[in-house]
Amino acid sequence: MLKNYFKIAIAVLKRRKFFTFISLFGISFTLTILMVLTAFIDKVINDNYPDKKRDRMLYINRIAQVGDGNMQSGTLSYYFLSHYTGMMKTPVKVGISSIFNGTNTYVNNQKISVNYKYTNADFWDVLDHDFIEGKPFNKQQVTNADRVVVISEDMKKQYFGDVQSVVGKYFEADNVSYRVIGVVKNVPVTNYMMYSDIYLPYTVSKADYKDKSYSGMYMAFLLAATPADVPKMQAEYEDLIKRVPVERKDFKHVYSHANTFFRSYVDTGREDKSGVFIVVTAISIFVFIFTLLPTLNLVNINITRIMERSSEIGVRKAFGASSKTLVYQFIVENLILTLLGGIIGVVLSVAALSFINGADLISNLELRINFSVLFIGLLVCLVFGFISGVYPAWRMSKLNVVTALKAQ
Amino acid sequence: MFKHLFKLIWNKKKQNFLLMTEMLVSFLVLFAVFTLMMYYYDNYKKPMGLEYENVWVINYGNAYQSKNTDSLNLYYETLRKTIKSLPHVREISFTSGNTPFSQQTNNGGMTIKGKHIDGINNYTVEDSYKDVLSLTLLEGRWYSKEDAVSKIRPVIIDNNLKEAAFGKQSAVGQLLGNDDDKVKMKVIGVVQAVKKDGNYSNPGPGEYFRTDTGSFRWLNKILVKVDPGSDAAFEGKLYKTMANYMKNSNVEIEHLTNKLRTTNYFALVPMIVLGIVSTFLVINVALGLFGVLWYNINKRKGEIGLRRAIGATGNSVSAQLVSESMILATLALIVGAFFAVQFPLLNVFDLPASIYIEGILLSVLFVYLLVLICSLYPGKQAAAIYPAVALHEE
Repeated sequence: MLKNYFKIAIAVLKRRKFFTFISLFGISFTLTILMVLTAFIDKVINDNYPDKKRDRMLYINRIAQVGDGNMQSGTLSYYFLSHYTGMMKTPVKVGISSIFNGTNTYVNNQKISVNYKYTNADFWDVLDHDFIEGKPFNKQQVTNADRVVVISEDMKKQYFGDVQSVVGKYFEADNVSYRVIGVVKNVPVTNYMMYSDIYLPYTVSKADYKDKSYSGMYMAFLLAATPADVPKMQAEYEDLIKRVPVERKDFKHVYSHANTFFRSYVDTGREDKSGVFIVVTAISIFVFIFTLLPTLNLVNINITRIMERSSEIGVRKAFGASSKTLVYQFIVENLILTLLGGIIGVVLSVAALSFINGADLISNLELRINFSVLFIGLLVCLVFGFISGVYPAWRMSKLNVVTALKAQ
Repeated sequence: MFKHLFKLIWNKKKQNFLLMTEMLVSFLVLFAVFTLMMYYYDNYKKPMGLEYENVWVINYGNAYQSKNTDSLNLYYETLRKTIKSLPHVREISFTSGNTPFSQQTNNGGMTIKGKHIDGINNYTVEDSYKDVLSLTLLEGRWYSKEDAVSKIRPVIIDNNLKEAAFGKQSAVGQLLGNDDDKVKMKVIGVVQAVKKDGNYSNPGPGEYFRTDTGSFRWLNKILVKVDPGSDAAFEGKLYKTMANYMKNSNVEIEHLTNKLRTTNYFALVPMIVLGIVSTFLVINVALGLFGVLWYNINKRKGEIGLRRAIGATGNSVSAQLVSESMILATLALIVGAFFAVQFPLLNVFDLPASIYIEGILLSVLFVYLLVLICSLYPGKQAAAIYPAVALHEE
C-alpha cells in the first residue's frame, strides 16, 4: 500500500516540475532557517563545555535588594558568596568566579586585549576545563596569593605565538607578571558566565575581596553530590536568603536565587521580569511567523495540484474508495514531499552552518548539527507536511464524483 | 467592470481566501522589516553629535579612595597633569562610566512644569569634555570654572531633550526639576544630541552635569584626545604611566573607533539576518503566487477563449487577469493596513508615527509590485490564447 503511494507521489512530483520546485524550495529553505536557529540555541544553551556536570549544578549570579521605590541588583561579593554558601550542607563544592573584565597588555608594540577572571580553586573542580597543557591552581597557591595564571588557547597563540609549551613562562597583564601554569581550551563568549582569556586566583585581585558589602563582581557555581540533590540544594539556598538581613534601612527584601543554567543565563536583572518567559515568547513568535507563511504557500500549491488530479480522484471514488482512504493517501504523499524537502534542507543547513562558522561571526562559536537539531528538523518536517496536507486533502475528499469525473 | 471582477473573485472565494491570507501575512512581515529598516535609516541620517576619531577611553576600576576630599582631588589632579604632559595628548577629561558606545547607561528622569520625562542619559562631565569629543553647542554656553560657585545648580541639555521639554522656545535660563521635582536646575546651554549607541541608534535625550568636588570618588573613566597617528607604542607608554600611578587599579584602554564598530556590528547583524530571512520568504511567496495564478489561468482557458472569440483584445484579457489579482491584493492590504495602523495609534514601540507610515507605504508598494510581477506573465500568456484552440479543447 505505502509502496504504491510512494510510487504515485514520485510520479506526481515528476509531472509538474515547476510546482515541485516551488514546494521543495519553500520546505527546504524554511527548514534551513529553523535548523540554523536551533543549532545556535542548542550551542548556547546545551553546550556543556566547561560545565559538564550541569545536571548537578546550580548557578548564583545575582542579588537584588528591593525597597519601596528603589532597587539595587547585580552580581555578588566574594565575601557574601563564600560566607553564605559555606553555611550550606548540600553542595559538595562551590566554585566562585568574578565576571570577566577587560585590560590590555602590550607585546612588541602590539596591543592585545585581555579578558580576565578571578576564581577560587574549587572553580576548577566544579567545572571541567580541557587542559591542553599544565594544570589549574590549587588551594595552597590561592591561599598564598601566588601570581599564577591559567590562559586560554587563543591567548597563548596571541601572546606567545606558535610555541610548543608555555607552562612556566611569564605572562604580563594589568602591569603584573604572572607565571603560566596551565592552558585550557577556549570557551565561547556566548557562555558569558564562564568565558575568559585568562584565569587568576581571586587572592591576587587588586580589589578588596574581604569587603563585606553584598554586591561585588562574583558569582557562584554550586555542585551537588547527585542530580537528585539539586532541588534540595536550591531550597536550602532560598531558606538561607530569607534569613539574610537587608544591607541598608531603605531596602525591605533581599532576593537571590540558585538557578539552573538556562534560568540564570537569561536572567533579566530584575525580580519582576522572567527572562525565560521573554526568551521563549520571542522565539515562539519568530518561529510561528516564519513557518506560517511557507505553510500557507504550501497549502495553496497543494490545493492547486490536488484539484489537477480531480479525474483520478473521481475514478477512485467511483470504484468505492472512502474519503478517509483518500485523505490518508494524500497526507502520506505530502509527507513524502516534505521529507524530500527536509533532506535538501539538511544539506542546505550544513552548507549554511559551515558558511557561518567560516565567517567567524562570534569567535570560538562552532555551530554543528547534532541529533537534537536533526530531531527538531524532522519534527518540523512532519508537522509541516501534515498541516499543509490536511486542508487540501479534506477539500479534495469532499469532491462530488460526478463533477470530478466531468472536469476532464 | 469592478463589480464584475468582484463577482469573479467571490465565485472562487475559498481559493482566493487562502491567497489573500498569504498576501496579508507577507504584508505584515514586510511591514515589520521595513519599519525597522526605516528606523535605522532615519537614525543613520541624523548627525553623530560628536567626533570619535583619535579619542581613547581609559577605564580604571577600583581606584584610589580617601575620606579626605582634598587629598582625593590632589591625587587625581596630579594624574591629570601627568597624562597631559605626555606627548601626543591633546586634551583629557574625567567622566562617568557611560562614555559613548559603551554598554553602560545611566538613566534618570526629570520634571518640567509638572510633566515627567523618563529615560534621559545622565552624563557627569568636566569642562574639557566638550573639546575632547568636539560636541556642537547650539545655544547658550558650555561649563566653565565659574559654575562651581553658582547659586542654582546649572545643567546642560541636548536638543532632543530641549524639544521634549520646551518645544521651539529657547531653553537657556529655564528651570528644570530633577526626578521628584525637589531640586531645581537652570539650563545654561543646549548641545547637539549624541548617538551614544552607535550610528543606528536614536540620538539623545541627554543631560550633562558638571563634576563637583566629591565626584572623583566614583568617576571611573578618562577620555583622551590624542594626535592623529598615535600608535601602539605610545598607547603602551600611556598604559604604563596609568598603571604605575594607580597601582591598585585594573586599567584598560579602548579606542572609540573600535567601540563604535562593535556597537554598529551588534545593531547590524540582526538586521542582516532578518533581511536574508525575509528575502527568502518573499521569493517563496512570489513563486507560490506565480504558480497558483499561472495554474488558475490555465484552467480558465475556455472562458478566456470565449471572451477572445466575441472580440476582446489580448490586452484587455491580460488586463482583466492582472486587475483581478490586484483587487485581491488590495483587499488583503486593507486588512493588513488596519492592523499596521494600530502601531502608531497605540504608540506601541515609542517610534515616531512617520516611521510607521513610511513602513506601511513601502510594504504596500512592495506587495503591489510583487503581485503585479507575479501576474504579468500568466496574464500575457492568457492574452496569447487563440480562441479556436481554447474553445476546441472544451
